[in-house]
Amino acid sequence: MSASFDVQTQHGQPTLLIRGSLDINSAPSLAERIDQLLATKPPRVVVDLSALDLIDSSGVAALVKLYKGIRAQGGQLEMKGTRDQPLAIFKLLRMDKVFGIV
Amino acid sequence: MRFVAEACRLVSGARVFDEHTGAFEVNHPFDTAFVSAFMEIFNNVALHAYRGAGSGDIELVASVSPTALTVELRDAGVAFNIDAIPVPELDALPEGGMGIHIARTMLDEMKYLPGPPNLWRLTKRLTVATTPEVSQSA
Repeated sequence: MSASFDVQTQHGQPTLLIRGSLDINSAPSLAERIDQLLATKPPRVVVDLSALDLIDSSGVAALVKLYKGIRAQGGQLEMKGTRDQPLAIFKLLRMDKVFGIV
Repeated sequence: MRFVAEACRLVSGARVFDEHTGAFEVNHPFDTAFVSAFMEIFNNVALHAYRGAGSGDIELVASVSPTALTVELRDAGVAFNIDAIPVPELDALPEGGMGIHIARTMLDEMKYLPGPPNLWRLTKRLTVATTPEVSQSA
C-alpha cells in the first residue's frame, strides 16, 4: 500500500491529487508536501481525492493540517471526489461538513 | 492488509483487494468498517506498543463465519489502559487521538486485554445495516 501526490497548478490555483492509500506510512510525505504548498500562501487549494482508495487517522490528520494551515492564511480549501472508505471515515469524524464534502 | 481483505471477502462476498493492480476496492459497508478499524489497531500496536522497540511481532488470527468476522491481534509490546483513552473532541478538528475512536465506532465489538501478550479482539457482524442494498436505499 502506498500513496502518490501531485500538485497541478492551473491559472494560479493548485490542485493536490492524492492517490492510493493515505496512511501511517505515506502521511509524513504528504505533510512535507503540504508544508511546501502552504509556503506559497495559495488563496485557494483544491484537493482531488477521486483516486484515494484508503485513509487512516494519520491521513486524516495530514488533511486537517492542510485545512487549518490554509484557513490560518485566510484561504479556502475544497475537497472533491471523495468516495467509499475515505468518505465513510470523514463522515464518522464529522469532517465531511468541515471539508464541504457533499 | 491482504490477510484482512481476504477475511472480509469471505464474509461480505465483495472483492477488497485487486491482485493485478494492487489496489484496494473498499466500498462494501462491511469491508469499509472492518478494514478501517483494523488499520487503526494495527497502527496502534506498531506505534505505541512497540514504540522504541525497533521491531516486533503481531500474531493475527481470523475467525470467519457466514455472518461475522473476528480478528485477534496479539503483541508482546507495552500494554496500556484503554479506558484512559479519551473520546476525541471532533468539533475541535483534532490532528491525533482518533484511531481508537474510529475502530470502536466501526466495529460491533472491540476488546483489549493487556498482556503479555496484549490481545485485541475485533468483531464485525454482517447485518442489515451493512448490506449495500439497504444502505443505498436508506
